[in-house]
Amino acid sequence: MQTDRKRRREKQVAGVHCRVSLLALSAVTKRYPGVTALDAVDFTVEAGVVHAVVGENGAGKSTLLKLVAGAERPDAGEIRWDGAPVTFASPRDALRRGITVIYQELALVPNLGADANIFLGMERAHGGVLQADAMRAAAAKALGELGLFIDPAQPVARLSVAQRQLVELARALVRDARLVALDEPTATLTAHEVAHLATQIDRLTTKGIAVVFVSHRLDEVRRLASRITVLRDGRRVWTGATIEVDEAALIRHMVGRDVAYQRHPAGRAPHSAPVLEVQGLTRSPAFYDVSFSLRPGEIVGMAGLVGAGRSEVARALAGIEPWAAGAVSLSGTPYRPRSPREAIDRGLAYLPEDRQRDGLVLRFTVRENVTLPVLRRFAARGQIRREDEIRGARAAATAVDLRPAPPDIERPTVQLSGGNQQKVVVAKWLLTDARIIVFDEPTRGVDVGAKVDLHRQIRSLADLGKAVLLISSELPELLALADRVLVMRAGRVAGELAGEALSAERVMALAVEAQ
Amino acid sequence: MIRRYGVVFALLALCLVAALFVPGFLALGNLTTILLHVSVNAILALGMTFVIVTGGIDLSVGSLVGFAGVLTAAALTSTGTLDAVGVGGATLLALLVGTGTGAAVGAANGALTAYGRIAPFVVTLATMTIARGAARLVTGGVPIGFPAEGDPAFAQKSAALDALHAIGGGRIPVPGLERGFPMPALIMLALVAAGAFVLTRTRFGRYVYAIGGNEEAARLSGVPVQGVKLGAYAISGGCAGLAAILLVGQLKSGGPDAGLLYELNAIAAAVIGGASLLGGVGTAWGALVGALLIGVLNNGLDLLGVQSFWQEIAKGAIILFAVTFDVWTKRGGGDHHA
Repeated sequence: MQTDRKRRREKQVAGVHCRVSLLALSAVTKRYPGVTALDAVDFTVEAGVVHAVVGENGAGKSTLLKLVAGAERPDAGEIRWDGAPVTFASPRDALRRGITVIYQELALVPNLGADANIFLGMERAHGGVLQADAMRAAAAKALGELGLFIDPAQPVARLSVAQRQLVELARALVRDARLVALDEPTATLTAHEVAHLATQIDRLTTKGIAVVFVSHRLDEVRRLASRITVLRDGRRVWTGATIEVDEAALIRHMVGRDVAYQRHPAGRAPHSAPVLEVQGLTRSPAFYDVSFSLRPGEIVGMAGLVGAGRSEVARALAGIEPWAAGAVSLSGTPYRPRSPREAIDRGLAYLPEDRQRDGLVLRFTVRENVTLPVLRRFAARGQIRREDEIRGARAAATAVDLRPAPPDIERPTVQLSGGNQQKVVVAKWLLTDARIIVFDEPTRGVDVGAKVDLHRQIRSLADLGKAVLLISSELPELLALADRVLVMRAGRVAGELAGEALSAERVMALAVEAQ
Repeated sequence: MIRRYGVVFALLALCLVAALFVPGFLALGNLTTILLHVSVNAILALGMTFVIVTGGIDLSVGSLVGFAGVLTAAALTSTGTLDAVGVGGATLLALLVGTGTGAAVGAANGALTAYGRIAPFVVTLATMTIARGAARLVTGGVPIGFPAEGDPAFAQKSAALDALHAIGGGRIPVPGLERGFPMPALIMLALVAAGAFVLTRTRFGRYVYAIGGNEEAARLSGVPVQGVKLGAYAISGGCAGLAAILLVGQLKSGGPDAGLLYELNAIAAAVIGGASLLGGVGTAWGALVGALLIGVLNNGLDLLGVQSFWQEIAKGAIILFAVTFDVWTKRGGGDHHA
């Protein structure tokens, strides 16, 4: 084992000099039901080099990371590790070969100390008895190398996010990792913490460790990485050295030129007074001073990167989570819902982002799901009037084009496709007769046909006079549907674009902190 | 089909085996005895099903049978009440005290779980201990009930106990049934039918399933999650109170140790009857079938003169089998879903 490691080190050092690819993905393709997440993507990483991967939400960055981590296997294409073709059987297999992936949601056991976490799964033991002192000392040493001087025995739950990240990095060091991949490592860090992390990443590369860095923040990407790969819609659109490209060019690569959807005619001039007015809505640290208004018959888009605070604002308006400061009025009267029930009663419907987790009771049939928010209407003195319920559910399911037609409302929703499930969620809120409808990523994971249907329904809801707030990470979708677009960045409204000014480049530029 | 009616088939198969090999099993008298014997457990399992379907658990029902039972017996045989309202009034009061105590403690369980956000296992473990302790405290450790010889109110108290016995131990004359149909079994059937109605036909019932199926989705749909949970625990407690009344009536006394470990039998019956401890699944009739399965097994083995120790082992095996069957069919059926 020891000599094996030494040999590896030597090879590693040699690798730094002749720039042999440590990891090479060639033409890898990964499909999920209804979507091709990666389409014949090439990606190589060299020892001692930081290689950044950038792209819009849904461009395929996470999938790429999963392939590298061994969490998923490609449907086509080849992965070479250290020059030889490999198939990672599992994350544990990739780990054993020297690949450590540090996810945004850190994989630490909160109640255990840094030492126990660092050695998790590779504990040093004598006949089953842990060598706690030895591990603690080794953990302290690894943490010290990363500039983190803490008691390794204290539960990691007490550490800051930045400190926990360093614990994960220390874990990679202890494991003799040869490639470390970081998923959005700076998303929740302060400027000072980012600087410290950057120093540590530099230090890793001097040891010959390859670093893959996935990020939205282009300034950090340009500072840290020497190579950059841009993904868009599952394809690799550009790879090159950081010095060859400026921020504007990167944004152009990320956004692309083609707009996939027909822009719906926006010819409705909403003259009427706003139905919802939001003033200075704040809840630290999720969102700050958010102000906007919605008028009947209007679709307002909300763009921004994951974590920009869009869903948080929507959830606050839907009565799911509170807000700390700010004022909202709905139809001219003050509005501050304390529960989803209150929001529904006031005429605001929220279609959550994760329909399986928040939107549907999967075990329930289409009928049972659709009538859940309005069961009161189908019940007399607590008893459900079955015929009325069936009639109402059938009408709603038909209105959203649930396929195959005529819709089978007694089918458990767990058996439906993603697109049909989303239609059930829409049908459910159609029945509430809401005046304001907030869609949170309505077409994520939905096949193209259902997407077109859903777009038409969103449009027709606006035509019926509903005010629609559309949160979407898909720029073409926003451009096609929205009358104007609010761009959020780091919890604040970074700008509002409409008419001529509304373009993919402008939205992206506002979203990624390019001044 | 198999999945939905699997337990019913198992029950029928067990009855068939018993009919073939156990002398006396098929006698009408024996069959009604089984119904009488399962009535308390079936009523507890019915209430337990409401709680389990929401994704919770209620460990307090056994102790609650003891606690509500001693209060029922005390209310029934208190000289003060008998003097004030007579035998009829005291009986009515006893019924109210029994169900009221059960429902109130159940509602407290529900409030702590739903509003206090404490794990139901912990909450009901605590109330289980408290209720048992309170039952022993109230009685001083000895059963309340039959008056001592020479008690000045002997006649009145006996009359009151007889009145409650009509409910807990009474028989309804039925032609062809020598000893009639046991009252508790009738009450059990009525309660299960009512429970089935509530679970499948009412808004409350729909909400119970919605919460167990996906609590977050239910909340976002405007379902009053906390209130519904409180209601489910109150129903479970109320069922425990009714079971206590039947037991007191049957035995003509309320003992502080009555209902010991009944919660486990109730959970077993609900689970055998198809309720999933993960929530969202379970039926009222399933609870009855589960209780019957245990009852038929015990009765058959009793008639065969098998040691009670073996009965426990057999019951455990059936629970394992039921749950394994459930997991197995779910895995088989889940593959083609997204």
